[in-house]
Amino acid sequence: MLEAIKMLGEYETAKSEEEQNHLLQFTGNWFIDAGILGFVNLMEEVYGWDLKKLQEMIIKEPETVYYGYFPFGYLFYHSTIRMIYSKIQDIKKELSKENGLNQKIMETEKEIKNLQEKITKTNNEKEKKKLQNKLSKLEEKKLHKLKEKKKAMLSKIEELNKKLIEGKRNFQANVINVADFSNLKNNQITMCLPNFSLRLPAIARNFYLFNSKEVKNNSVLAFRYLQLLCQENYEKLYKFIKEKMPKTKKAKEGLTYEIYPDSTINPFLYSPGEFSNIGYTKPLKTTEIKKSLNLGLPIFIPLLCFEHAFENYYEKGVIRNVFFYTNKLDVCYSINKRMRIKKENAISRSKSQSLLKITFNSVIDELVENKANFSLENMYLVEYENIKNQKLVNVEYIGIPKLQASILLDDTIRENLNRSIQYRKIKKQFEWKWLLEEFIKGKPLYPIILSHINLALNEESVLTYSNLSTCLYSLISEANISEFKAEKEKQNGNLFSENYFDNYKSLIKEIKEDIRFTSFKAGLINQISKDADTKKRIARELFDALKARDKNMFLNILLKNMNEDKKLCSNKNLNDWIFEKIIKNDISFEMYCLILTMNLLRGGQR
Amino acid sequence: MSENVYYWQKLMGDKPLTLDLEKLKNAVTDVFKNESDNYKQKLVYNLLERVRNNDQKEFFYILLKAINKPKENFKELWKELKEKYDVMPEEAFINFAYSIIIGIMATYSGGE
Repeated sequence: MLEAIKMLGEYETAKSEEEQNHLLQFTGNWFIDAGILGFVNLMEEVYGWDLKKLQEMIIKEPETVYYGYFPFGYLFYHSTIRMIYSKIQDIKKELSKENGLNQKIMETEKEIKNLQEKITKTNNEKEKKKLQNKLSKLEEKKLHKLKEKKKAMLSKIEELNKKLIEGKRNFQANVINVADFSNLKNNQITMCLPNFSLRLPAIARNFYLFNSKEVKNNSVLAFRYLQLLCQENYEKLYKFIKEKMPKTKKAKEGLTYEIYPDSTINPFLYSPGEFSNIGYTKPLKTTEIKKSLNLGLPIFIPLLCFEHAFENYYEKGVIRNVFFYTNKLDVCYSINKRMRIKKENAISRSKSQSLLKITFNSVIDELVENKANFSLENMYLVEYENIKNQKLVNVEYIGIPKLQASILLDDTIRENLNRSIQYRKIKKQFEWKWLLEEFIKGKPLYPIILSHINLALNEESVLTYSNLSTCLYSLISEANISEFKAEKEKQNGNLFSENYFDNYKSLIKEIKEDIRFTSFKAGLINQISKDADTKKRIARELFDALKARDKNMFLNILLKNMNEDKKLCSNKNLNDWIFEKIIKNDISFEMYCLILTMNLLRGGQR
Repeated sequence: MSENVYYWQKLMGDKPLTLDLEKLKNAVTDVFKNESDNYKQKLVYNLLERVRNNDQKEFFYILLKAINKPKENFKELWKELKEKYDVMPEEAFINFAYSIIIGIMATYSGGE
């Protein structure tokens, strides 16, 4: 991967200006960029070309790629590949559904185990024989039969996979043999796309290609339509429709979304029929969009390939279609590829991994490998749950703030935040929060830790050593971030101050230093009493003051209790720490107060 | 309270609420070094009680009474207090008072 990126770097400098213009690159508009990435993914899936190879092809002969390889690839994917995928999916569903084969096998195995136990327990010979008969019947007939059935299904999947590989190989050979895509003969098209039948995608159900009976099963018409659409030659396209399909509605009414793309092509675009009052003028023409974005490739390629940028994940029974976006094509491509590989690994190891875990690990791997030389800004996760009636369901955009991302580049901080902790109990069931996720979303961690400590106070959960360290890291990171932000505000929005660029680095250093000192100094509070119950009583009082956000009350309780132990009061480390972090500090004192309270709950005695 | 805020701001010039708590704490630590622990402990209890009730008047009354000793070297603290002592907004008073209290606590001789 590194090589590919290096090669691309060379392209950017070594190639001529004209070639630069052809080079596939992001526009800065995430929506179009997702389509561009989708295009790269589609070409990789169908032809097996990675980004580097595709760039080379585009530089060499852009028109062949856009008007030849792409329409063929797109049609092949939506006919043959999707048909095989859906067959495989059906078999997998059949296996794993409720009352499916997998469940039946498991139940029979359980039954056999129960019978075996019963046999060893009974002393009655007659009954033993009876049970043994039953057992052998179960083993031989039922289990064996079921397993055979499963084997047959699995081999069918394998067969389909083989068929897919072979189909792709034949397709690639046929398409690459085509010398001139501008003068294609009909028989050449049918040879490249045998057994052609388009499957309806959720993303563009009303698109002419898929909903017209004439085109759906006719590879020649479908290819020509798509090719002309990509060429954006509307006159020729309309003429072609009128000539070849004179009876269709389109031939009578003329071109619509081919010139003014709308939600028919892509559900992220709006539908002028439904929202006629959105645009006071007509929607943008394809040529206008292309011009304003300085787009080097046909606009319909990104619009149609949009869904290929997304990868679907099953999490807690919900399908989530996710795409990670950052503003450079190569980085975006390689991070999304890593995500896909990580996802497949997680599935094969049947490990359920949280989506954000996969994403962030991929991002971090990329950063570590490429020495973090790209901007951490503008990283987004775009996700949607489903497409129903060409409308997107539950769309969400999660931005990863630069500040948070740069802090998470530090291994120790990340490892400590990369944990889930219990934060409340409902109906005897603990609820958990994954701190890293909250942190990335920019949500405060303090309330979660506060609730966690509350559980520990009520003896509903135990404050283990590792939890303690996680809480400490979370609170101190948050405290330092809020101080950092307050400092920045103080500079009156003076964005580019002297140390603007290495600020974040120094912030990590500060956090780590703070953790080192605080864990020692605040830990001294544990000496306030030898008795665990007394410490707990003090902790509860302090916690209540903290919950009421009453700094005065907190300090009063703390100092009054400390005042009895003169040695502790005059301990310079603890004394100075309380003064620095709580008394003097009006911004993040709450976090440090919670650290003190937490330390009182720590196990062990003086 | 808002009246007090203005008064306080006027007193401090352009920078309202800028207390140098560090300097204050050091001055307190310096002057209470030689007092007996039991006396200081009691004093701290008394002062804590006043801050809890947010009783500024009583707090300063006790504090001033404690440092009203011309023969001993309380001059540094007198100077600090002369500059800073005033009727101040609640948040500033809390920080101010606890700085003094923790400063006294830092001088305990260690429990013997």
